[in-house]
Amino acid sequence: MPDERMGDATALMASSGRLAPPSVSVLADAVRTAHREATPLRIVGGGRWLDAAHPVQASRSLDLSGLSGIVEYVPGDLTLTANAGTTLAEIEEATAAHRQWLPFDAFGDPRGTLGATLATASAGPLGGSIGLPRDVTVGVTFVTGEGEIVRGGGRVVKNVAGFDLVRLTIGAWGTLGVIAEATVRLRARPEADETVALMLPTERDALATLLSTVRAASVEPLSAELLSPACAARCALGDRGVMLVRLAGNAIGVHHQRSTLAKLTACESVSAEVWSRLRQSDPADRAVVRVSRRPSELGRLWSSAMSIPGIDAHATLARGIVRLRLTSAERAALGAFDAEDRRVIESVPPAWRDAMSSSHTPSDPISRRLRDAFDPGRILNRGILGEEAS
Amino acid sequence: MRTNPTLATQLSAIVGAKHVLERPAETFVYTADGLPGYRRQPTLVVLPGTRDEVIAIVRLLASLGVPWVPRGAGTGLSGGALADGAVLLGLHRLRRIIHIDPENRIATVEPGVVNASLSRATAGHGLHYAPDPSSQAACTIGGNVAENAGGPHCLKYGVTLNHVVALTVVLPDGTVTTLGSSDGEAGGYDLVGTFVGSEGCFGVALDVTVRLTRNPEAVRTLLADFMSIDAAAQAVSAIVATGIVPAALEMMDRATIVAVEASIYAAGYPVDAAAVLLIEIDGLAVGMEPDVARIDAICRQHGARTVRVARDDVERARLWQGRKKAFGAMGRIAPHLIVQDAVVPRTKLPAVMADIGRIAAAHRVNVCNVFHAGDGNLHPNIAYNAGDADESARVHDAMRAIMKLCVDAGGSVTGEHGIGLDKLEYMPLIFSEDTLAAMCRLREVFDPERRANPGKVVPMRSCREWAGVPATRRQGDHA
Repeated sequence: MPDERMGDATALMASSGRLAPPSVSVLADAVRTAHREATPLRIVGGGRWLDAAHPVQASRSLDLSGLSGIVEYVPGDLTLTANAGTTLAEIEEATAAHRQWLPFDAFGDPRGTLGATLATASAGPLGGSIGLPRDVTVGVTFVTGEGEIVRGGGRVVKNVAGFDLVRLTIGAWGTLGVIAEATVRLRARPEADETVALMLPTERDALATLLSTVRAASVEPLSAELLSPACAARCALGDRGVMLVRLAGNAIGVHHQRSTLAKLTACESVSAEVWSRLRQSDPADRAVVRVSRRPSELGRLWSSAMSIPGIDAHATLARGIVRLRLTSAERAALGAFDAEDRRVIESVPPAWRDAMSSSHTPSDPISRRLRDAFDPGRILNRGILGEEAS
Repeated sequence: MRTNPTLATQLSAIVGAKHVLERPAETFVYTADGLPGYRRQPTLVVLPGTRDEVIAIVRLLASLGVPWVPRGAGTGLSGGALADGAVLLGLHRLRRIIHIDPENRIATVEPGVVNASLSRATAGHGLHYAPDPSSQAACTIGGNVAENAGGPHCLKYGVTLNHVVALTVVLPDGTVTTLGSSDGEAGGYDLVGTFVGSEGCFGVALDVTVRLTRNPEAVRTLLADFMSIDAAAQAVSAIVATGIVPAALEMMDRATIVAVEASIYAAGYPVDAAAVLLIEIDGLAVGMEPDVARIDAICRQHGARTVRVARDDVERARLWQGRKKAFGAMGRIAPHLIVQDAVVPRTKLPAVMADIGRIAAAHRVNVCNVFHAGDGNLHPNIAYNAGDADESARVHDAMRAIMKLCVDAGGSVTGEHGIGLDKLEYMPLIFSEDTLAAMCRLREVFDPERRANPGKVVPMRSCREWAGVPATRRQGDHA
């Protein structure tokens, strides 16, 4: 979840009310009423929700910040149930007390909420290993567009009972239901958790060789993220391109992995702080666009990105995703990529919206029927997927 | 030319007469799956050999309004592949590995590819397919997708859901569509996640693109034996709390140990132990020994009499054989076996295990526990003689009591076997009416006529909007 980009919502609040239900049942009542009255709702968590370049067409805000707090946390089970409005920072603090953690490191403010992280399926550098919301979430309580309370999954870590209503809501941007509560799997903190920075070659072939060497090496990184010089500078890592590699496990194993990497290229240890700096370094005045292909294409994608002078970009090695933070002048540079490269627009400053459109609009028949089945009145976050332009 | 050809004739025109089975002797093997105790008679069995034949069959059945049930190898443990007066669509002939991409660590396979054969085919690249149900020598990837299959190593590596990146499916109306993406972010709703685990109710996968996992550099398998189940369960929690993620963490109780050791799968488990833990860790070679030492110490602190580390692959395979063939070994005890698959929060394991023992004693039944302790996924199994009405009644009562116990402990009724027919009655124990109705709506998105695997997963009475509407046209209408 990136920074505040709430121009539309601010205007909206001035013109009409904000619903802030204190409980799931009041939330369900509010949605049921809105459905009956055909009142579109904009779902708001911490107010930092990505809007995917598509403003929500809604006359009312449904504010979930009151639906906050950890509901159940049993450290021995490594599971935690929390209301949607609970911030990731709060979960971080509660779990750290037991040497545990929730491996969600989506870009943006740590005051971003659990509900928004799941609804947008946001993942950061840990998404390449253990941090994808779809893999970590075991239960979701949500309210459908007709106001029914549905509880998919459960509180246990392994569960195949019934059709999967959990995956249905993760990444649906609230359009199939308002997430009210979720249960996630935690991890015990490893004994050692270190980060090293490898110097990235600028020459294309040398880069491709390094990437494939790291992939094949005797290392099992939690994260491996490429940073362009401008992005590295934002993270106080100097002004050269680097690959950040996060290694975890026991001390002997981590030491060995670090030595293995040091044999490949110049390599130095850096503070773990670098990850939170990267996470919180999205500039508010830029568009954020993800370009992706299969991981073996990452060298090409990265070289295309680096052909844009001064580009602020980073890339997740294991997922083949380059994340670009573009200035207004750099927008045209997206032409450096192939037409087949997948593009997902995370956010766009309101002023440039007309010029950019997202490619993640689900338009296939199954997706349309899902929307019909779970939000027949199209009242939940209408427009956020780029659909139903009014 | 006949103006009103029979269904069998029309199907024969697609797949050839020898791949349409009608006679009872031919269809008998298809009247049951891996779970003993249920038999259902399909109208007929059709065995397509190509993707195009599957599509043609599904379209034909759509045009006739005929219900059908997809089936892989028939190793499922929930009665999910039983066809009661429906056409059974066997997919085991579609066993082509279409593509292996070692660089991106993915493979695209047809649904009938056997789980273990995919790992064999990718071994030369140093890769394997991680989900490893105990039936992996026979079960198919398509069946794994339908059931969201697990296995011992899912503790570290995740279940089928976590390994499927894309699918091409034919929906029950005959539409062919691709879900997910193996070449960049998919975007949109997580239709792969929605399809995986839909138990054959949403359509048939024509091809499945799965993630492959790098073979670990090193593997260590430990066997620790305990004088009480409680001590073993406490050791499980202590191991998990270290931050080490074992590749597998399995428990077997005395009844299971005795059954295994008396069978051809004897693995050298100590028959006087109350419980053994089979613990496996894998990963990079350097750093493995400190983890082995730590787990060894934890087991001993929790009262393990002995902790044995397999010296080589032969010993390791033998230790695993006892675990993976435990269900088979129980078959020696009595002719029938009820297999359960409940899940409980891990911290509830000691209390739940004790209560299962009490329930077994009260109902005078022989419960064998063999299960994935690391994630609280129980398999309390009861070997019995279904011909004995009194014993059957006691067994079923005990199973219901065990299921209720696990649900009351905050658990689920199935961790990896699926609901199928077998656990339909338990669905209302864990899901509200609104949730079950939402599942019905989800099914209708994929199959508005509810012809694919009818009568499974969600009890019909839960589907309020369908009340009074016949699920499908009767077979007799068109046969």
